[in-house]
Formats: sequence, structure tokens, C-alpha cells
Amino acid sequence: MIEYKNVLTVCPYCGCGCNFYLQVLDGELVGILPCKSHLVSQGKLCIKGWNAADFVISKDRLTKPLMKKNGKFVEISWDEALKVVTEKLKQYSPDAVAVLSSAKCTNEENYLMMKFARAVLKTNSVDHCARLCHASTVVGLGKTFGSGAMTNSIGELEDADCIFVIGSNTTEQHPLIARYIMRARAKGAKLIVADPRLIPLTQFADYHLRQRPGTDVALLNGLMNVILKEGWEDKKFINERTEGFAELKEVVKKYTPEYVEKITGIPKELIMEAARIYAQAKSASLVYSMGITQHTTGVDNVVSCSNLALLTGNVGRPSTGVNPLRGQSNVQGACDVGALPNVYSGYQSVADENTHAKFEKAWDTELPSQPGLTVVEMMNEAAKGNLKAIYIMGENPMLSDPDIHQVKKALENLEFLVVQDIFLTETAQLADLVLPGTSYAERDGTFTATDRRVQRIRKAIEPRGESKPDWQIICALARKMGSKGFEYSSPAEIMDEIASVTPIYGGIGYERIEDIGLQWPCPSKEHPGTPYLHQGKFSRGKGKFFGIEFKEAAELPDADYPFILTTGRTIFHYHTGTMTRRTEALNREVPTGYVEINFKDAEKLNIFEGEIVSVKSRRGKIEVKVQVTRKVPEGVIFIPFHFAESPANALTNSAFDPVAKIPEYKVCAVQVEKKPSLP
Amino acid sequence: MIEKLKKLAKEYLVSGKVEVIFGLREKDNHLAPHIFTKVEELDSLVVSPQYPLFYTCRPSKKNIIRLIEEKYPDIKIGVIVKGCEERALIELAKRNQIEMKNIEILGVACSREEAVECKCPRPYPNHPLLGEKVEGVFEDKNIEGLLNKGWSERLAFWQSQLSKCIKCYGCRNACPLCFCQDCAMEQELWSKIGEIPPEIPMFHFIRFYHLADRCIECGECEKACPMDIPLLTISKQVRKDVKELFNYESGLDVKQESPLLTTLDEMPMKEGANE
Repeated sequence: MIEYKNVLTVCPYCGCGCNFYLQVLDGELVGILPCKSHLVSQGKLCIKGWNAADFVISKDRLTKPLMKKNGKFVEISWDEALKVVTEKLKQYSPDAVAVLSSAKCTNEENYLMMKFARAVLKTNSVDHCARLCHASTVVGLGKTFGSGAMTNSIGELEDADCIFVIGSNTTEQHPLIARYIMRARAKGAKLIVADPRLIPLTQFADYHLRQRPGTDVALLNGLMNVILKEGWEDKKFINERTEGFAELKEVVKKYTPEYVEKITGIPKELIMEAARIYAQAKSASLVYSMGITQHTTGVDNVVSCSNLALLTGNVGRPSTGVNPLRGQSNVQGACDVGALPNVYSGYQSVADENTHAKFEKAWDTELPSQPGLTVVEMMNEAAKGNLKAIYIMGENPMLSDPDIHQVKKALENLEFLVVQDIFLTETAQLADLVLPGTSYAERDGTFTATDRRVQRIRKAIEPRGESKPDWQIICALARKMGSKGFEYSSPAEIMDEIASVTPIYGGIGYERIEDIGLQWPCPSKEHPGTPYLHQGKFSRGKGKFFGIEFKEAAELPDADYPFILTTGRTIFHYHTGTMTRRTEALNREVPTGYVEINFKDAEKLNIFEGEIVSVKSRRGKIEVKVQVTRKVPEGVIFIPFHFAESPANALTNSAFDPVAKIPEYKVCAVQVEKKPSLP
Repeated sequence: MIEKLKKLAKEYLVSGKVEVIFGLREKDNHLAPHIFTKVEELDSLVVSPQYPLFYTCRPSKKNIIRLIEEKYPDIKIGVIVKGCEERALIELAKRNQIEMKNIEILGVACSREEAVECKCPRPYPNHPLLGEKVEGVFEDKNIEGLLNKGWSERLAFWQSQLSKCIKCYGCRNACPLCFCQDCAMEQELWSKIGEIPPEIPMFHFIRFYHLADRCIECGECEKACPMDIPLLTISKQVRKDVKELFNYESGLDVKQESPLLTTLDEMPMKEGANE
């Protein structure tokens, strides 16, 4: 008999948390339907969401465990695979092993992966690609507010009087959040966009502040300088709810509009006008993303955003706040449940004695107390030979990490690399053993959207071939290694454990989140969840100002490398392309990589639209197709990082923020060369 | 009314008049299409003007009804339809995208309020089993406002609206009549690929033209647009033009052929017929 069902789930792409239905006819995935009653998506999707069924049914899906024998992968049984991994991982001391968890996996799976690292391998070296996108947010907003997450909810943007978007190409990276910015605009809100590039939002902006890449601190200090000079700060808010104001005031003194114009290239009149609009709005929302975080000064940038909001009292009310947009379906959740080397779930520090004791008791095992290695540090240690084995779940550092030549050397230097994924990615190809996981459509669990909403993903179809949900693989491995505490009958049971040890998730359970989910902090079963943070009181008590001086990026253009390279994504692709490049509708739009170059620079270099040029940095060289455009200013080029054949990250600088350890993807120095024509 | 509908659906199932019922189901406070095979399941049956029953499935580009017909050629399906959905079925059948022989229509009329909300010109199926035929909505403030303006103002309006487009193809994907294997919107001939906003106005207008004689004015294109572009305004105007030029309205009768499919070969359009 016919079985036709529509299974409600969360989109596997960005952090908007859009819901849609997977349309299933007799066990076969036949399409995607938008969900009109979902809070954020409201029956609308972007092109990636509409096409999120394609990669699930791709012929390239991994269906069996693979082991490399004589340089070639051969299929092996699960029994053999688990045996090999267990034997190998048991050989190494805790300092010689590390795991990479995944922002594409569920909260339950990330929790188990960090539990596996800590309780089974006895190492805190567990990290994931949040390091590469919002590590500076977690640190920065942690310092100033006490909570490193988006302060307000997506839908609230619509009712803001002013929206200040800095370093976020929202339309392309978070299309359904851009919807609310556009709706606010239609209702009369003022829109300020700070971005070196012309992005889709700039054409609707009242003010476009086109800063030189890497000068955000100077710009933000400049805005605050004007606000203080004109007396537009919120004195009551500063007195009652903040500390450290004197320090800030002292530092921003010298950042006059004239001085800031010199550093950033933004005309001083624009800085003064933007400062007025932001400061005088009843409710101003600040929205930022990778353009702020992916710098050696990432934490400084985040803290400066926070300073601006505190100065004007734009925190702790609806339609205000500091709103970092998270780029992956569950990157918020992967951080929340502790797939980070210095914290357990709920950002509870591993260095804290009470927390340490609490988890030892809860898991009934001894745990390591030293914080572990971050992503970039893992690669460095592997290259040096100190790290011998890495277990990677659902990540592709061979395209996503900075300076990938170095990453390749590091991974090849390992004695044992096991990769768990749904495709044979560039990273999986280097593995000794590959374990087939399942896609979002084949498992149950939860994702946490960028506005802290914990939502259900639901199994719609059976796993492909012999592939298994990640949580089952991790549990099987842990049991095989002789560890207790990995017997779960379902992801719901894992969530109950998460709730029991994680105060901010304390009230979350599947029975409460079937319809619209819950926003953390949600400390108890009676708590309704928290749409916006810091109402009346900051998570850390008082909001804290820090005086931040402007520092230049780690690598600036010079005579040999005269261009600034800035990297990013396009609306048509996602990250390392493992999913989107297996989607026909997206490949048709953008089949391969390209470099955006300003038309004046193109003219100087005598290069033309569609021509292949080489782009070279101190770390590598790639060949890539030219797009002559006005989108980038003179002296700046842009390359999306999705494409293995022209990998932007062969060029980028792995220099990182000293605290957050996030690499500087947004600024490095490169040379563009016309290729010699054939004789 | 919903209780009457449940009772009717139950009778259809129990009597064997149909083997399954295709309708909307409510689960966890969300509504989605569902195939009801058992009487007990009908408790969760709902009707809502805001939720359409069938989309074109992608990547196959076939309507869900077609996919079911292909797998189960002999099964009798009771389909609970509103006016717009019946028009979609009729138009799909007319264009050989589905067959009607195994479809039993359970028509439900919408209320006047619901019609106003959807800007629906014909808020009822041809023969409603439930509800009354109420007057549809013909006036459109957008159209009237724009027609009173000059060319340059109209152009500026549409340029500004269409420049919001993020090329999600939601307008096409949500359209029950967009089933072409080779979609004109995807062809570089009409608008450059890989860019947002896509070329103005051709990316959108090729769809309006292509749907001139198919559009059933359900408004799903506009409802699917994340950027709130008033797409229905153009569709309504095009549909009005087709009616005035050819005295043709889509979605009313399977046997009625589209003038755009017939005029060139069979019935050449008389020049000046409108004068």
C-alpha cells in the first residue's frame, strides 16, 4: 500500500534553522516542501534549501567502511573496521590523539564525540570548524556579556529601527535572515552596511561604509568617538548596567573621524552620519559574521561590536543586540554541547575543578584536566610528529583550513587517520580508514539554529547501504574500546543526558521541542526558553567595556604581493562543496571557482573576463577564472573557498588570533599574474 | 465543516469508492499533505486555504500525483481540493502531466474572508461538496495603482522589486504548473546564470510569459518569495490579458484547449479582433 509522508526537519545548510518537509514516497526521498508555519522560514527557502534532497540521493554516497590497502581503498565489514580503529586508537597516549567533531552533525552526536574524546581517549583535544568561523565570538562576547551567542532572535530584526550589518553578506550566507532585514527596511528602518565589497545588501543600504579589509576596530572606535563627542551615549544604561567605561572612553578619544578615514578609507562624513543613525535609533540591531571574526584581531573586532552596543544601550531589549550569524546548520549546537578543547557542554570550563568533578561523577570515569588542542594547533602538532592519530567526523580540513599545503603535510604525517563522512571528501581520501555516516535525512536528533533555537531533525528515509548514524558509530566504537556510558537507545535519551549536565539546556527534552523548538538558556522543564539575552542583567552580571586599539592584519600587501585577498562564500554553494557540488541546480549556477577583481586593476594587468590567471601568496599558488567587477574595490580581490580545483585556502594565512586561535581568512597579501600566452 | 469533511472522507474510504484520501494533515501544530489510508487517521485531517496540497517534486520535476499514478496505476485516490487546487489538477491533466481517471475530487469551497486573504478570483471548485460558492476577488490595489502611473515610475517600481531577488527559484518550485524538464528560467539565453539579483526583468518575465495560459492564480509563487516580491500582481495582469485577448481561462475544463497551443496551426488569430 502507498506510504506517502512529509517529514518535518531542519535544513542542513546555514544556521538560519529553516524547516522544511522531506517528501517521502514508499521510502524514497522525492522532494522538498517548505513549511509555512515555521517561525523563520514561513514557507520560503533559499536555493540551497530547495535543493537539499539532491546530495542525499547522490550516487557518490559512501555505503560501506573503506580501508586503505596498498594505497587503494577496499571495502571492509563494520566488525573489521571497528576492530582496526579500536586497536589503533588504543596504541596512543592521550597527548598523541585528537578528534574533530562536526557542525553538520547533531547536538547528540557532538556531545557523544566530545564525551568519546574525554572519557574514552582521555584527551581534551576535541574541536571543530567553529574554530574557523566564530571562535572569536565565543571568546569575545563571553568576555563582554558572559554569553557567546546571538543575543536576539531572527524575527526581531524586522522591528528594529536601525540595522547595522558589518562583515556579513547576509543575503548570500543567511538568505532567510536577510529577509527580515529587508522587511525592516520596507517598514522604514535605516540600514547601515560596512563591507569592503558591494554585496546584495549594499544596494538597499542608507549608508555603505566601505572599509579597507582588516580595519574594523578603527571603524567601530570611530563611530564611538563621534557618539561620545556628540553626547549620544546612553548614560543611564552605562551607569546601571556596565563596567569599564572609563577605559573605553580613554581609548576611543584619538579615533576621530579624520583619523579613522585615514585608516579605513571611509569618508569622515559617512562615519559621522552612520554614528548618528545608529545611536539615535530606538532599537538598533548589530549583525555580524565572518567579516568580523576571521581576523588575527577577531576577538578585538567582536569586543568592539559589543562596545558599540553597550555604549548606546542596545542590548537586553527586543530588536537590538549583537547578533553573530552562525554559518552551519548546527555550529551553534556543536559549541553548546562542548565540542571545544577548553569547555564541556554549556561552556563549562574544563579547567574548573567543580565542573571537572561533576563530569567525572556523571560519566563515572577519570577525565583529563588540561585544555586540549585547537584545529590549527592540531595540524601544527601533527606536522611536527607529536600528534599521531586523528579521528575526524564530518569535516573537510583539506579545503576548509587555512594554508592547505601545510594541512596536507600534517595529515600525511599522521600514523593513523580515520574519517567518518557521507562522501569521500578531499580529507577522506587521505584517510587510512573511512567510516560511512548518514545524512541529515537519515537520522533523528537536534540542531541548534543561530538564534539558539534547539529544533528537531527527523529521520525520513533509511540509511544508504551499510552507512550508520554517527551517534551509533561513536557508541559502537566506545563500547568496543571497553568504555561504559555509551548505551543509548535513541538520540532522545542522549538529549536527556545533555540536559542533566548542561544548565543552559536543562529544560530541553524531545517532548518539548516537537513543534517549534526552544531557545536556550532554558534551565528547567518549566522554563519557556529565552528569545533575547541579557534582559535586566547580563549573563556575567554587568556588561563590560574594553578599550581596544586598532592593529593591522598579520600580512599586508607590499611590492611583491600587492593585492589583499579576502575569501568567502556565494549563495549557490556551501563550504567545501561536498554537498552543493553534488547538486545539479547549484552547479549549473556556479560550476567552478573564480576571482573577483576590480575593473581598474584588470585594466592595469591587461586581464579580461573569463581569462585564467594565477594568484600567488607566500604559501601557495592557484589558477582561477577572472570575473571583472565593481564588487571589489581596487587593490582587493575575492575568491570563494568552495572549489578544490582553485582552492582559496592554498593562499590564505594561518596566522591566528592569539586568544580565539581563529585564522585570518579575510586578509592576506597576494599577487595576480597574467599567464604567458602560448607561443 | 471539517467534521462534515471527515465524515465524507470516511464514507469514501469505507465504501471503497476510493482506496486512499489525499489531503492535509496536522501534526505537531504544522500542516502538510498526507495520504490517509486508514479511517482512524482521518482525525488529523484539516483544510486550510494557505496550504497547497501538491507541488512539483524535484529533482524528478513531476507532480506527486503523477509519481503516485506511475507506481500505482490502478489505485483510486480521493483528493480533497480547494478551488485553486482543482484548477491545478485540471490544467495538469490538460497538459498530460497527470491522468484524471483514478481521481475522485472532493471539492471544498473557501469563505469570502479566505478568498480576500489569498486575493483569489475563484475561491471554489466547479462542484463543491462542502461550502458555498462565494464571490472572488477581482480588484488588485497594486495593479490599479501601477496602471495609474507612468512608464518610468512603473519600471522603477519593478526594478526595485526585482532587484531584491535571491534566485531561490521558489516562485517556480512552488508553482503547481511549473513542470518543464528544461526550465526557461535556467537558460542562459534569457538571463545570465550564477548572479544575484538575476537579470532584470527577463529572469522573472520569462516565467510570466511561459505561464501566461497556465497560471491558475493560486498565488503560491508570491507566497514562496523570501523577499516579498509582489509576483501575483504581474500574473493577474497577464491572466487578465489572456482572458481579454482569447476569452480563455485556465483551469476550468480539461477539454478546453489553450489558445496559445492552438492558434498558430489551427485557428489563426484574427488581426484586430479586439478593435
